[in-house]
Amino acid sequence: MAATITATGSALSKHWLRSEWISALAYPALSVIAFLAVWEVLIRVYDVPLWLVPKPSDFLARLSSDFPLIAGHAWATSKTIILGFALGAAIAVPLAFFIVSIPALERGLFPVIVFLNIMPKTVIGPIIVVWFGIGPLVSVIIVFLMCFFPVLVDSMSGFRAVDPRLYYITRSMGASELQTLRYVRVPASGRYIFAGMKIGIVKAVEGVIIAEFIASSAGLGFMIMRASSFMDLTLMFSGLIATAVVALFFNGMMLSAERLLMPWARHPTAD
Amino acid sequence: MPGVEHHAVSRRLRAGMSTSTGASIHGRGITKVFGNGPEAHHALGPIDLNVASGEFVSLIGPSGCGKSTTMLLVAGLEPATEGTIEIDGQPLTSAISEVGIVFQDHLLLEFRTAIRNVMLQQEIRGLDKRALREQADRLFAKLGLTGAEHRYPWQLSGGMRQRVSIARALVHEPSMLLMDEPFGALDAITRTQIRHDLEMLWLETKKTVLFITHSIEEAVGLSDRVLVMSGSPGTIIDEIQIDLPRPRPAHLGEYPDFARYAQRIYATFESLGIYKFK
Repeated sequence: MAATITATGSALSKHWLRSEWISALAYPALSVIAFLAVWEVLIRVYDVPLWLVPKPSDFLARLSSDFPLIAGHAWATSKTIILGFALGAAIAVPLAFFIVSIPALERGLFPVIVFLNIMPKTVIGPIIVVWFGIGPLVSVIIVFLMCFFPVLVDSMSGFRAVDPRLYYITRSMGASELQTLRYVRVPASGRYIFAGMKIGIVKAVEGVIIAEFIASSAGLGFMIMRASSFMDLTLMFSGLIATAVVALFFNGMMLSAERLLMPWARHPTAD
Repeated sequence: MPGVEHHAVSRRLRAGMSTSTGASIHGRGITKVFGNGPEAHHALGPIDLNVASGEFVSLIGPSGCGKSTTMLLVAGLEPATEGTIEIDGQPLTSAISEVGIVFQDHLLLEFRTAIRNVMLQQEIRGLDKRALREQADRLFAKLGLTGAEHRYPWQLSGGMRQRVSIARALVHEPSMLLMDEPFGALDAITRTQIRHDLEMLWLETKKTVLFITHSIEEAVGLSDRVLVMSGSPGTIIDEIQIDLPRPRPAHLGEYPDFARYAQRIYATFESLGIYKFK
């Protein structure tokens, strides 16, 4: 009897899971297909020329026929994102800890950091071009600047986030500074650091394309810019889709990393 | 020195002894002033505070009367401005480690499961893992937490979080338990149950407890002795020996004496102008 109930229960939950999947994937897919179909039909009916607005069938076909070219540029863009982002996070997190540890430094630097965080980083692009010439380094520096500040600001709040009364408890345990850091402060800041990194990665993808527009010889931004000079709108739309895929990939990676590293953070708040 | 002490604790734990005697507290002329110059705030004292080994003593008083400060001074977590505190006859100079502390907020680490929050004591103190885990399991059973070991704090109710917090304060078998309004954030029904569970734990181990509360019911319901405080600066203005049989019932009104003790505290509060009933 019990076995029957369990079996029915699991079958039910599986069925429920499946319908959940369907609504999560099928409905968005359907609406995208419908949107592309309407696009396709309208262009055909009104006979819009290819150089003005390409049909979905054109740029989707281009994605496969020019796959090596597009994939190569997508890879160049991804490398720039990974490098700039890793560099940004690797410097921002320890620096945040250092700044928060010295109150005078924090008070002095905080307004400057807030100002730099608000300032649009792309305006520095032309200056960086003057300093470093046209090349992959310029894009890396811009990506670095784009994600550095959100990670820095959120990590700083992370290192400040521990309730000071918790230190009474760790002190009564006889914990050393290093132990408090290892067992309490660093893991407690994880949620905040990830929040900063999630903003950082979105900004990194944004920044890398702009950087490639202005000063690069590789990457999706460069490819789109060059296609623009040839009025190759089909390739531009293919590049647009490739950029979206890259952005989705990096966002997905961040979310997966967060779920994996911080299983407790599935709940929105600490309390 | 800490090594010797850790060794003693782990040896006691290995031997399965849960009857470590409670520490005694002797404070004379304890005074606390925060800040200095014209900004100085005289928060506490001078007060004399004597707690016998294994005694359950409550400090009750209005907000800001220096109750919490008293607790921090006794733990050696804040230095007294004047006066001396002796724990087991030893003058207090720095934070003592033979102590468990519970605050009003559970202060559990959100990234650790219930059991790992408790085992933080073992990890930081470098105690024997198996012995501490056994002790933690025993405490979980007594506190009704069995089955919640691997849940994160956000997956627990307020009452359960506070029970985990109590387990964390007791797992290393300290000789003293300091509690600062530990049930203050809980609902009345949970509070009555957790009060009883704490009393049963205390009856078993007879650790010295300094219990800070706003609640007359908790103070009288749990304590051997209640110290009534007034602010500010905080001073002890009344001391009441509570002679009620243990364990005490959920409904304390069963005892006519309870009403008498409660009446005395209410009267004291009224005479201080804390209550202004017409």
